[in-house]
Amino acid sequence: MNAVTAEKMVLAFIGCITFLIVALLFTILGIMFLKGLPAMHGGFLFEESSDFGRAGGILYQLVGTLILMGVAVLWSLPVALGSVLFQTEYLNTGKLKTFLTQLTYILNATPTILFGLVGYLLFGVYLETGVSWVTGSLILAVMILPTLQVSIREAVEALPEKYREAGMSLGLSRPTQIWRIILPQSLYGIVTGVLLGLARAAGETAAIMFTATTFSGIQFPQSFSDPVPTLQTHILVLAQEGANPESIAQAWGAGLVLLGLVFLMTLMAWAFRTRMVMESEL
Amino acid sequence: MIQFKNFAVAFGERKVVQELTFSLSTNSITGIIGASGSGKTTFLRALCRMNDRINNFSVEGSVFIDGMDVYRPDTDVYALRRKVGMVFQKPCVFPKSIFDNAIFGVRDKLPKKERPDLVEKVLREVFLWEEVKDRLGEKATTLSQGQQQRLTLARTLAVGPKVLLMDEPTSSLDPKSTAAIERLAQSLKSRHTILWVTHQHDQAQSIADRVLVIENGQVTPLSTPIVPPEKSSSFTKILQGYPE
Repeated sequence: MNAVTAEKMVLAFIGCITFLIVALLFTILGIMFLKGLPAMHGGFLFEESSDFGRAGGILYQLVGTLILMGVAVLWSLPVALGSVLFQTEYLNTGKLKTFLTQLTYILNATPTILFGLVGYLLFGVYLETGVSWVTGSLILAVMILPTLQVSIREAVEALPEKYREAGMSLGLSRPTQIWRIILPQSLYGIVTGVLLGLARAAGETAAIMFTATTFSGIQFPQSFSDPVPTLQTHILVLAQEGANPESIAQAWGAGLVLLGLVFLMTLMAWAFRTRMVMESEL
Repeated sequence: MIQFKNFAVAFGERKVVQELTFSLSTNSITGIIGASGSGKTTFLRALCRMNDRINNFSVEGSVFIDGMDVYRPDTDVYALRRKVGMVFQKPCVFPKSIFDNAIFGVRDKLPKKERPDLVEKVLREVFLWEEVKDRLGEKATTLSQGQQQRLTLARTLAVGPKVLLMDEPTSSLDPKSTAAIERLAQSLKSRHTILWVTHQHDQAQSIADRVLVIENGQVTPLSTPIVPPEKSSSFTKILQGYPE
């Protein structure tokens, strides 16, 4: 076999794999749309569910999911940003930097059910805070921390060194450099990280099942100790009622909304990342 | 003004500058020449502690600038850098307006109403005012390389340094811009002490009062300029007609 034939074969193989992956993605999307669209009536997003989820909309589940996602990012962002700035702007020793980076990846690879379990034991059993949106958002915050950390670190490290040096040469203090050079120049990367973190938080089910959510009996949380209904729990519970076609239809509808939410975050993150790359090439 | 006492600069085991002891007088231009990789830039950066972030960088001995011991542990490095400004080989403007770039280093300390006056002052000092006065709000990245380099110099001057470290400031510029920067250095000499790194011997000799050569870690003085500034090639031929 000559080199040209071998190259063509490799190309065909890679092409097939790519096609399969894209086809799989479109199949999932297609099924989601086909199954989920029938549940989408005018008030699906704005009505509360009724008849144990078999009818009505998903208003409070959507709000609950957004509360958990948003608050988790609020907990996580300062920690991620602080640790990134500590690593990139203050740490000079390579070994400690590498160690912290590895630690982030290990945290990222931890199975999510373990976060749920540890969170449940820590908050639910030892601290007795029970199942609440605060507990759930804290657990989610720890889970999305590596995603946020990695995205923000990439953005800050991609910042050309010349900007730092220009700031240093003007006698700007380290905090001033961070405030006036590093953060504004890394803004798109930080927003990308936040959006990816939100997307990841939206996709998590296992951890919040133990710590933050309930299927029924609650609408908006009235206190810090209240749980929230979420799309994930809604889908899970309805899907378990396999014999009931109305429940299954509602589950598909909620699934489509959740997928749309994650897609929206990911697309926005991609748009910001593209902008970030363009800015760094200036 | 700048006094070296057994001053040595090293990267790990490699000594870039060895046992340097001499003084540079105030309000003068000192040219520093040497082959590529000889340590000119490292030496220059050491004077405003720009190498502090580099892991295996070390210094021995001491260097005093305007009475300030640069490497004393309790030296305020930020105050030092405001006193010893640096202009880099390639101009680095921030993706902000020309106005914002000019006062970037002093914005937080300067009352808002005093900013326009300072911007005009420093842009005039670098002969850039007439070229940009009607578009101060435009992004600095829209300026030519030569204009950007003059803007970075204006930005440095706005901080009020006594010493200017210029690291091959004309190496990425066209001849006309080069001549403008050279002329600028001459005009700034009355108020600043300037160290100018270049790999062009004729440029060093034409603009500097004193030329130092860095070779194999040794810094040795060259004789006083052979070619007077007004007879330098880029200085006379290209500069004619350039704004005074």
